[in-house]
Amino acid sequence: MTTAIETSGLTKDYGSGRGIFDLDLTVNEGEVFGYLGPNGAGKTTTIRLLMGMSRATRGAGTIFGLDTERDAVALKRRIGYVPGELPAFGGWRGSEIVAYLGGLRGDVSEAEVDAVAKRLDLDLSRRYREYSHGNKQKLALLLAFAPRPALLILDEPTSGLDPLHQQEFYGLVRDARARGATIFVSSHVLSEVEQICDRVGIVREGRLVTAGPIGELLGMRAHRVVIELADAAGGARVAAVPGFEQVSVDDNIVSGMYRGSFDPLLAALSREKVLSIVSREPSLEEIFLSYYAVRER
Amino acid sequence: MTLLRLALRSHRTSVVVMAVIGALGGALNAAAFVQLAGTTAAERAAFGREMELLGKQLAYLLPDPVQLDTLGGYLTWRAFGLLSLVFSIWAILASTGAGRGDEEKGITEQWLAAGVSRARWLLTRSVGFVTAAAAALGVTFAATAAAAAGSGESLALDATVLETIVTLGLVLSTFGVGLVVAQLVVTRRSSGAIGAVLVIALYELHAAARAGMDVGVLEEVNPFALYARSAPFLAGGGVDAAATVALYAIAAALVGLAALAFTRRDIGAALVRLGNGRTARASSRPSGDPLLRAPVLALVDQQRWGLAGWTVAFAAFAWFLASLARTIVDSMLAIPTLAVYFERLGVTAYTDFVGVLWFGTGPFVLSGLAVTQASGWAADDAEGRLEAQLASGASRPRVVLERVAALLVITAVVAAVSSLVVFVTTDALGITLPGDRMVLATVLELAVIFAFAGIGSALVGWAPRAAVLGLGTVAVVSYFLQQFSAIFAWPEWVGRLSIYQLYGTPLSKDDWIGPATLVAVGVAGTAVALLTMRRRDVGT
Repeated sequence: MTTAIETSGLTKDYGSGRGIFDLDLTVNEGEVFGYLGPNGAGKTTTIRLLMGMSRATRGAGTIFGLDTERDAVALKRRIGYVPGELPAFGGWRGSEIVAYLGGLRGDVSEAEVDAVAKRLDLDLSRRYREYSHGNKQKLALLLAFAPRPALLILDEPTSGLDPLHQQEFYGLVRDARARGATIFVSSHVLSEVEQICDRVGIVREGRLVTAGPIGELLGMRAHRVVIELADAAGGARVAAVPGFEQVSVDDNIVSGMYRGSFDPLLAALSREKVLSIVSREPSLEEIFLSYYAVRER
Repeated sequence: MTLLRLALRSHRTSVVVMAVIGALGGALNAAAFVQLAGTTAAERAAFGREMELLGKQLAYLLPDPVQLDTLGGYLTWRAFGLLSLVFSIWAILASTGAGRGDEEKGITEQWLAAGVSRARWLLTRSVGFVTAAAAALGVTFAATAAAAAGSGESLALDATVLETIVTLGLVLSTFGVGLVVAQLVVTRRSSGAIGAVLVIALYELHAAARAGMDVGVLEEVNPFALYARSAPFLAGGGVDAAATVALYAIAAALVGLAALAFTRRDIGAALVRLGNGRTARASSRPSGDPLLRAPVLALVDQQRWGLAGWTVAFAAFAWFLASLARTIVDSMLAIPTLAVYFERLGVTAYTDFVGVLWFGTGPFVLSGLAVTQASGWAADDAEGRLEAQLASGASRPRVVLERVAALLVITAVVAAVSSLVVFVTTDALGITLPGDRMVLATVLELAVIFAFAGIGSALVGWAPRAAVLGLGTVAVVSYFLQQFSAIFAWPEWVGRLSIYQLYGTPLSKDDWIGPATLVAVGVAGTAVALLTMRRRDVGT
């Protein structure tokens, strides 16, 4: 398998513990790699290093065998990029932005722009300042996908997109993968990464914690569950169900992180009178805390 | 209080810059008076007579020349009239920043969402500016008084305080003008440009009225006319209380009007939407404009409206100055002592005078274009456009070189049109300018802008946030060096530190060292920019 992205001891030290440190990462050609981490973990810093926007404090990175700093210009023609923070183009029309940046690349087909714009339902005749946040994000996606690059580096690409267009984005990723493109996508939303990625790397406090197949994530899958019982006496029984972690019982309310199959929990609840049950996807930080608490035990 | 602190904070850099410009302008002119006017009563009387004759020909730029044999009269004519215009333009930039710039950055929306009313937001920003302007003017007049004292002269404290109060009234009025314009125009850049044109128009309208033109009721409400009714530094001048109160009333009314307009419009929109809500036909294709795909021209094309504005405004200014050329020259040469003075400088023919009049002013005004462009380069970095360019395959050296080249193309258009206007206008007045030298003088304006572009590029590459301040400082210092190095008899090399001095007078004299130095500065600055851009992180 050929390597698309490889970093060795890649470090950007902003001081006070901020940045990314000693990153050793490999992304293979043709795979969709999810780069997960809470806000401030170092995802954007990594991406900016890969894109040659920031200079590494030490270490190095290569993309398709080319150095990310020395060969930055040659590499850009093979990369589609969605930045974490969208640029401000003021009064330019979407069509002018695409023509200008496409002109810099030199390899953007008008038909492909048309196709992607239609898929994303993006009107390029409007001025950038009139775009909603979601439309700005769509324009960034269009600029990344329309040249049909060999590598897509996407920093939180679904930020601001409504669910319908999130699905369209997943479709664009699947199509790009089908034609052999490699995709490096950062996110802090676990369910999103599960949908599209083959492998994931998890970064926390500037360090890569783990990298492996998506299946490994399933072990981390958990839900924040809050159950309100009619009878406070049932709280202890529910809390004792295997899979419940960080559980707390407050009178008739049981809350905690629940990991694994819901069958045992539902079986236990069938013996109680339940007033309400709320289950939501926890934040990545909550998952990390529970996952590593379990592993350390 | 937090809101007020933020309002004050937003002026922290500009207040220092304006205080320095004001202090230098006032202090250098105060010190220059003794050098120029002499020390005896007879010398000063002669100086006053000659300057008053000259001053009458400069009415388009400076106030009425009165009591020029006294320090107060000289400062009122030579320094404060022009400073009032400079401070007014600052007021426009500050007001459009408060009324529109903060909105573009999303700051206004944040505060409104936090429960601050629109009126309170605008009023607090206004109070912040009142404080900043008062501080900058206070420093200006204090420095002027100190320089006068240092030269053995004196400015009365009460007159200094009164001049501060009157000038503050003028500056607040123009702040109000900018605040109203910001409600009508959707971007900060456009509202700033329109506001600046309005202020200059008001200034010139008052100048026209001073020269005898009937401008009707406008003269009664024009802030510059109201300001000119007070002259605290003149013997028997004093303050026109009604006019000064009117200045503050106009300021309050305009701020109130802007606040009212602000409460009636959408955030991010103009008060009146033109075009009846028409929108362009929906499209999913890139623009067909071929210029957007061409190196350098793409950057020029993106600024086509700005380029058109600069070209028209600069051409109008060229026509205005050129149309006065014969009258000014004839009047000046009618003063025997001035004729001798100009003869010593080698300025005798009409061509020489046009060279001094137009090509002495043009490069200075054009350098404003260079500063504006450098501001745009710094904003490209801060607002993510540079990142988008680099991500699309542009190399860092290409970005630097394209910026400089685009600035030179824009300058070439603006300078060529203005020179053509000067040539045609003076020809109509019977002044025949040598065509080859006109071309040379125009081309050499590019050398001035190339020097600014080089320095600006280097500053943007090194520290983008400080670039505009740095380049503005270069322009201001160059201006003061050009104006005062001869008066104070500073060594020649000090004068040569001025970019404008290096430009020389190419319409009548050959001096290749100056332009060559300008080109060398441009090349060196661009080289430094190429190095610094290569090494640094984007967006920091």
